[in-house]
Amino acid sequence: MLATGVRFVKAQPQGETCAVCHSALGVDNLTKPVEMYKADIHAAKGFGCVACHGGDGTKMGWEAMDKAKGYIGKPTPAQVIDVCGHCHSNAAFMRQYNPSLRVDQVTEYYTSVHGRRLREQNDNKVATCASCHKPHSIRPPSDARSSVYPSHVADTCASCHANAEYMAPYKIPTDQLTKYKKSVHWKIMTVKGDLSAPTCNDCHGNHGAAPPGVSWVGNVCGQCHPVNAELFSKSRHGQLFVQMGIPGCATCHSNHEIVETSDAMLGASDKAICVTCHTPQDPGGKTAVAMRQSIDNLRTSYENANVVLTTAEHAGMEVSQPLFELNGAKTALVKARASVHGFNLDGVKAEVKPGLEISEKARARGVRALDEVQFRRKGLAVSALIILAFVVGLVLKIRQMEKKP
Amino acid sequence: MAKDQTSLTSSSSRRNFLNWFLGTTAGAFAISVLYPLSRYLIPPRVEESSSRTVTLSIKAQDMKVNSGQIFRFGSQAAILIDTPAGELKAFSATCTHLGCIVQYRSDLSQIWCACHNGHFDLNGKNVEGPPPKPLEEYAVNVKAEQIVVSKKG
Repeated sequence: MLATGVRFVKAQPQGETCAVCHSALGVDNLTKPVEMYKADIHAAKGFGCVACHGGDGTKMGWEAMDKAKGYIGKPTPAQVIDVCGHCHSNAAFMRQYNPSLRVDQVTEYYTSVHGRRLREQNDNKVATCASCHKPHSIRPPSDARSSVYPSHVADTCASCHANAEYMAPYKIPTDQLTKYKKSVHWKIMTVKGDLSAPTCNDCHGNHGAAPPGVSWVGNVCGQCHPVNAELFSKSRHGQLFVQMGIPGCATCHSNHEIVETSDAMLGASDKAICVTCHTPQDPGGKTAVAMRQSIDNLRTSYENANVVLTTAEHAGMEVSQPLFELNGAKTALVKARASVHGFNLDGVKAEVKPGLEISEKARARGVRALDEVQFRRKGLAVSALIILAFVVGLVLKIRQMEKKP
Repeated sequence: MAKDQTSLTSSSSRRNFLNWFLGTTAGAFAISVLYPLSRYLIPPRVEESSSRTVTLSIKAQDMKVNSGQIFRFGSQAAILIDTPAGELKAFSATCTHLGCIVQYRSDLSQIWCACHNGHFDLNGKNVEGPPPKPLEEYAVNVKAEQIVVSKKG
């Protein structure tokens, strides 16, 4: 018996009596769960109503709903955690169904803001298992119909967090979903169909959901962006931001509305992020401008080389070797953009220099190929003119010969 | 008189036919010369090399176990790997994240992208870091020590 009075549950054979009455009552809130449960993963694994609601599935009517037999009816929020956790926290039990499934969800849950408020303040409005895993129609996260399928997570969280009225007592923003759906992460997940793109639980945790702390937000982003995070943590900014108590990545990239980055973010122009704290004249501003200039040089050089080589390729010239080598300049450009997170001009220049050498060399080969195209075209034009002149002359000669008696 | 008229009409008809015939063939000749000329001067847009197979200069016997070698596949980079199990495998060497050139890490037995620390396993599957998709795998055939790499499908 658990603290909340939930009876120990075990897998029950199918054919409980609960559905007999609940299907026949004709009341939506009683009949719908019966219908919905047919598609629930627990039903597929052989669990019936009694597993969560208690009681005696072999009896009919009120006798089946005997509190002495552990019947709890609709579980309270605290009971939900105990009911689910009773099986899901039992490694030996869960091993029979899914040996790789974690069994620390309840422990994690009570470290979350939701769990702490439930336990410490008896706040029954907070999310519990059933808030995200829709009761009676629970499907595994890998099922595209599941409420916790990666592309559905944001809407599931937003069912509470975007509800201004519901969230009013907590005095936290409710625009996270709107902002997130403008982000590059949402775009990658929904437009490119990349389910590994981060959604709410990837940064906040799922069962242990809480805002990432200021001191470790870089660690969270660094899960997917380790190079940028490492460069930043070792940089002057990284150390300074920790001292100032401001979040690393989110200060420049925002949190929920993380838009696609561009070179315009760097430097001292109106669109640059650096000018939020720096002026173009201070040392930091000057470094930002110099880093931007260095990257712009490489980008322009790479783009010029690419245009020249592509034009030569379209003109039928064999330029696959310089095009292949130009991939190295593109790699250097990507690395240079990442190196910006070290806020060190020498670090950026070290990445830019080899890229410039590659792209200049490739461009020179492209220019030579285009020169060759022009030479061949001029040769063709001269030959064509000579042939044409010869044909015209031939025609005139034949006519002259025909006129002679 | 009537016979002469018939003869003149027949001669005129034959001349018209010959003129038409010569004009048509001359026109066809001009088109057959000018069309390829115009296609040369204004070439069609070609997106990329259509090469589907490449024979590598490196011999199978020269590849060391647990090593990788970048090679040119058309104008794109590809990577040949001799896996720790001694199997030759080839993949596109263009990272599926932002297009950097990947390399083989013998200490990890993984394909690795230095730009953002992306990792791919020996099946080309993205297993760590930001790459969103696996690397395209190519077919590798060895004929008398010559390594031939081809696009699949």
